[in-house]
Amino acid sequence: MGSGNLNPILKKIAKAAYNLGDHNDPLNAVLAIAIFKGINRPLFTMMDKESDPQVKKYAAFREGLTEVVAASTYILTNKLLVNPVSKYLQKKSGGSLGKITHGVEFLGVCVSAVFLIPLACNLLLNPIMKGVAKITGKKKQTDNKLDIKENVVPELSKPQVSQQVSNLSSIKGPNSLLQVLQNKYTPYNGGNMKVGV
Amino acid sequence: MITNTFVHLISKNGFQNLIQNTTAQVSIETGLKAVGRPAFTLADTHVDKETRKYSAVKELLYQTLCLGIYLAVIPVTFKKGGFAIFKKLCNKLNKHPEFLKSITKTDKLPGIEKCSIDIFKNEKSLVALHNLSHLSPAKRQDKTNDLAQKLLTSIEKNTNWDLVKKEYGSKEAFIQKLLNSDRENDFFRQFFIGKGGIEMSSIVGSVVGLTLLAPELSHLILHPVMKALHMEAPKAAAENKPQNIDKQA
Repeated sequence: MGSGNLNPILKKIAKAAYNLGDHNDPLNAVLAIAIFKGINRPLFTMMDKESDPQVKKYAAFREGLTEVVAASTYILTNKLLVNPVSKYLQKKSGGSLGKITHGVEFLGVCVSAVFLIPLACNLLLNPIMKGVAKITGKKKQTDNKLDIKENVVPELSKPQVSQQVSNLSSIKGPNSLLQVLQNKYTPYNGGNMKVGV
Repeated sequence: MITNTFVHLISKNGFQNLIQNTTAQVSIETGLKAVGRPAFTLADTHVDKETRKYSAVKELLYQTLCLGIYLAVIPVTFKKGGFAIFKKLCNKLNKHPEFLKSITKTDKLPGIEKCSIDIFKNEKSLVALHNLSHLSPAKRQDKTNDLAQKLLTSIEKNTNWDLVKKEYGSKEAFIQKLLNSDRENDFFRQFFIGKGGIEMSSIVGSVVGLTLLAPELSHLILHPVMKALHMEAPKAAAENKPQNIDKQA
């Protein structure tokens, strides 16, 4: 019987399972965790309704970035260090290369988790976050320029109104407009107009 | 001398079996994070002492809680679930020997034509058989070898011997294959998909446990525990540095 009836996803799962059964590289588990943490944690942070939006954005971006650094460190350690170190150890001791490689892969993950990732985060996160803050800061400045233009209207309109009033009050004399308006229409000085009628 | 001792230690069968197990890999990694990260935080001289202490205790508690919740819930559930799912999948794949051959064939080895794991009552027996395959035939037959005897006892307890008799003719024939076959032999390779399925489901469980379940649950527990320990977030740090909200990977 051929494999025609098998679902392509099942075929891929079967192949991946065979490879995992043959050799379960610790990189698989830690990488899967790092990738899903990088997706889930920022999502959870952004869903928190109680926090300030700016703080949420900052924290979510930083969490995502931390996991990107973590995943990259795991991969780099595995790809760059495992083979040379295993071959060196095999040459020195004459042991089984397969077993040494499996051991070194696991130790690589442990060293990355305990030492290399915190170190990489300490070295990389702050400069990256500062760089991002600078870029977003520049954007904010341009936004602020727009805000100033928007604020021009109320700022200018307020003195204009007061100027008009002061101009009115400055014109004095019995026939001035202000005096006429005050004498005729103010209800408190015996004028004919009644408020509320 | 040191190199030889180191290689001897990492090549030991117990260590090799341990590091091929996803649950052990994730647990050891999380345990090391629980110790290493607070130590790293405490060593950071750029931050004031109170903040360091608070962050270190919080990180230690967080990782410990994550590990506890993970170990309590995930391995049992997902290993059993994975075993049940892959039992069905292997039966399906058994009807497609050509496909099995194509995915298991290598330059050195021919492909296998069957992969059923029906003979195992549960995942323990399959894992024990897989771990036994890492021992040399001589060690498997050695009655003084504790690890081999322990694994053989587990296989004895958790295998459906009626099905074994149907498939291999007799229990003895199966035991002979178990003790004498090389790891690269078809006998052991036919169970790779089943074992890989358990590991695959453990990886899924680790992802669910450590990225969804444990962080949410530990946050519920973390704040009361921190309060009980009279550990409050340093005010200046909380007000001035929003980056302190971030937690490590």
